[in-house]
Amino acid sequence: MAWRYLKQVEGFWVVFRQMFKPRVTTPYPKVKRVKPQRFHGRHVLNRYPNGMEKCIGCELCAGVCPARCIYVRGKDNPVDEPVSPGERYGFIYEINMLRCIFCAMCVEACPTEAITMTQLFEMSVQGREDAIYTRSELLMSPDGVVPHPQPQSKFNDLGELTLADGWMRATAAAGRAEYQGIRHWTPTAGAGHRPPEQGQAADGVPETEEESEG
Amino acid sequence: MSDEATPGMVKITIDGREMQVPAGDLLIAAAEKAGTYIPRFCWHSRMKPVGLCRMCLVEVEGPRGTMLTTSCTMQVNDGMVVHTESDVVKKAQEGVLEFLLINHPLDCPVCDKGGECPLQDQTVSFGPGESRFVEEKRHFEKPIPISDLVLLDRERCILCARCTRFSEEISGDPLIEFVERGSGTQVLTFPDEPFASYFSGNTVQICPVGALTATAYRFRARPWDLQAAESTCPHCSVGCRISVQSSQNQVLRFQGVDVDSTNQGWLCDKGRFGFEYLNSPDRLSTPKMAGDDGLQEASWIDALDAAASGLMSIIDEHGPGAVAGIGGARGTNEEAYAFGKFLRSVVGTGHLDAQIGDGLEPRLLAAPADRGLIGDLEKASSILVWGPDLKEELPVLYLRVRRAATELGAKLVVAHPRRTGLDDVATHTLRYRPGAGQDLLRRLAAGEGDAGAALAALKEGPTVVITGLAGLTEGPDLAEAVAAFGRDLPDATVLPVARRSNVFGALDMGVSPALLPGRASAVDDGARATLSGHWGADVPDGSGRDTAGIIEGLEAGAIRAVVLLGADPAVDFPDPARASAALAGAELIVAIDMFESVSTSMATVVFPALGFTETEGTVTNLEGRVQKVSRLLPGPGGARPSWEILEDVATRMGGSIGATSAGVIATEIEKVAPAYAGATWDALNTAFGRDGIVVPTADATQPIEYVPVDRPSAPVQRDLVLHLARVLYDGGTTVQRGLSLAKLAAEPAVYITPQDAHRLGVADGSAVRLSGGNGSAELTARFDDSLTPGAVYLPFNLGISVGSGLEVELEALA
Repeated sequence: MAWRYLKQVEGFWVVFRQMFKPRVTTPYPKVKRVKPQRFHGRHVLNRYPNGMEKCIGCELCAGVCPARCIYVRGKDNPVDEPVSPGERYGFIYEINMLRCIFCAMCVEACPTEAITMTQLFEMSVQGREDAIYTRSELLMSPDGVVPHPQPQSKFNDLGELTLADGWMRATAAAGRAEYQGIRHWTPTAGAGHRPPEQGQAADGVPETEEESEG
Repeated sequence: MSDEATPGMVKITIDGREMQVPAGDLLIAAAEKAGTYIPRFCWHSRMKPVGLCRMCLVEVEGPRGTMLTTSCTMQVNDGMVVHTESDVVKKAQEGVLEFLLINHPLDCPVCDKGGECPLQDQTVSFGPGESRFVEEKRHFEKPIPISDLVLLDRERCILCARCTRFSEEISGDPLIEFVERGSGTQVLTFPDEPFASYFSGNTVQICPVGALTATAYRFRARPWDLQAAESTCPHCSVGCRISVQSSQNQVLRFQGVDVDSTNQGWLCDKGRFGFEYLNSPDRLSTPKMAGDDGLQEASWIDALDAAASGLMSIIDEHGPGAVAGIGGARGTNEEAYAFGKFLRSVVGTGHLDAQIGDGLEPRLLAAPADRGLIGDLEKASSILVWGPDLKEELPVLYLRVRRAATELGAKLVVAHPRRTGLDDVATHTLRYRPGAGQDLLRRLAAGEGDAGAALAALKEGPTVVITGLAGLTEGPDLAEAVAAFGRDLPDATVLPVARRSNVFGALDMGVSPALLPGRASAVDDGARATLSGHWGADVPDGSGRDTAGIIEGLEAGAIRAVVLLGADPAVDFPDPARASAALAGAELIVAIDMFESVSTSMATVVFPALGFTETEGTVTNLEGRVQKVSRLLPGPGGARPSWEILEDVATRMGGSIGATSAGVIATEIEKVAPAYAGATWDALNTAFGRDGIVVPTADATQPIEYVPVDRPSAPVQRDLVLHLARVLYDGGTTVQRGLSLAKLAAEPAVYITPQDAHRLGVADGSAVRLSGGNGSAELTARFDDSLTPGAVYLPFNLGISVGSGLEVELEALA
């Protein structure tokens, strides 16, 4: 009979043993884990350091999106006050966050690194319409602040909005032959510049125009 | 494959595959037909080869060894051995593409062509993958507008000359050309002369890069998010095949589809950019009823009840003959059939017309003897165009006639009161004063004087005679006499033309007092009995009124109610003021339309109708070719198809037209209309596809074959006569409701010969008063030496009307 009680004690022993092990959980939301560098959070539309929007309204993100959650429409840049470099800018940019699967194909497709993903994933909304992020929710302000629909929410760590998902190009931005095949980090990470990830430094790549300007 | 070559064919070997191809074909075309695609930029199957881009280099074995040659400039020879995939060819292709990309800006993400760009596609398929050129690219100001409709980006241009060759060879408006030399070569317009061609949009479609883009489509969408459906252009009766492309429930562009029988890939700018009216915010989306101050929005139930009870009370009081119907030429055959059936069987009136007083004898349009096809122009030795200025009214037919007269060497005789677009390529040009056409026709038939050479040219068959109403002040007799003259020519076919989009379909559906569905005569008791057997209702006899008669009836009080289906007689009738006054006196007007118009403003009830791209059906073009139109969009708000509205009104009147869907109507047409036997949707969708079916088909019958009657009338000789004719961009709904075309409508002016101007003391550009049969107007006078002295020309529907009388007076204003 006694072995039966012994088995129960064995169960207590498991609990007792765990009490002295390091904890793997965190008391979210008071404490937040450090997320992996390539974490896919909500999107942000970046600007160049001179304040111009990077988005040119080319709709490649919308075309590549497997969830078909992006809606973009381009328009002629106003001649006097261009919104982005070149002829065209995205005057409608909408992402339906309820449909988004956070695959970051849009980030890969973007030819100007206009759309990147941040590390913020808390996106609770009070209605379905609020889940459709428009330019006013996605586009960072010229000083690098990324808007948030509920900035007061205690779940938000607005600092996460300045971290990008560490995406890199396979070839040089300019498409010049001498940089063929050389990996080149995107100069912007959400709100600014970011050093390359460890072990993947892009040696020998000169500073891009934006960097020298910034 | 047998060893013996078929006559007219030669044997060639492409990449080790032996094949028979038509002798005289270009190698690039022959290879494509045989299944080998040779990349190209400058070569276009509808234009002459130039060998400019060098992309189509292939290796051809010859007596002096194998050498690279451009396949677009080489004709196939018997026994030719060609290599398209050898290492030498690959190296040549990669080299050509690397060179072409030296100066190409690679702004594909913002380029309208990106995604459907031959340069992109062929660079991926045949290019080197990377470039050795690191130097700065050539820069130009970009983009520059070369017309109101087309933008030019010279950085992207690869100098293939497709656009310049199109303007010169096909459309005959050589307004763009290469300028400068070497690396500075660029396409440009002439100084201070915009690329104001009626066909400029075609250059956008055939540009192999994004150098030419259309303002109407610029940055609206990318090719991959467009939904497309093949359809038939709704703007005139040529029936060009188009690809309707939309995104987010908005039509964004029309592209020409290459069909041998009609448009050969081309479109006019009205057809290409005229879709914008469909997206207009002015589209009607709810029914409206006349209230105390104008039209008020109403519910469908109230509007249908009001229309039905209004029609019934007029029928009760004055009989069905007090109701008339105008319209049906803007929609599909199914809608026109429903309209005709509603009026004839439910209302019981024979007063109905699809032409708005500006057409020909309906039987001549619907079922002329010896009717020709547009395709007959390809083998014609001589062509007589005596009718409207084709460039202004049926632009793609103009392109076909022009091609016959230039590239195919047909002799072209043009008779018109003034200069037409075809005069440049005409062998003989005959001019006459409006009203004196019969006189000219007599001289032409007798071969008198300067008409002798023209008659000699026309005696060389095969001849195609294109006839129609040259001007709105002239009666339809002249066109009919020309058709009768044309039939007497040896080996001649006659092609009577009218402009309004589906007028031929509407007449075939019996929307005319003289015709029953399927080209049967309304005065034929047998045909009426057969039809009333199908419909289960009496069919009124053929004594109904046409539009001019309906207007007269309204003035006299014989007609009290009018049903309008997509028609605006208060603007489109040759004498708009008279039609407007007549409609204002009507007791009841029920209008089914897409927009509010002058006519609907006088209506009691207005129903919002679905239009082009929103309804499925068939249309019939000017040669009797039945083609499909497709439904791609839902249409605005509460708008409904016209047949459904008519069915609902019919139900409330205690009848029915049996219309439960457009497909059901189509099936009924196929059964009821003898000439349309065999022209089913299934056949059009599958076996015949984009070519459509010319009715009557071999196993269908056509009850009447109308032989044009030469009704000579005495020539009118008055001091000053009016030539009133349409221009392409006018005050019409489809032009004015579109952003791109609305601004292209010309300022109204009256054109006068310098001789008359001198006699009347009028200077070029001075203000004059033109007084006609019904009204007068102050206008600017412009000199036009192509008119016959004693004639003045006023473009129709530009907001100025002095009536449709032939005689006018003109006085200079101080």
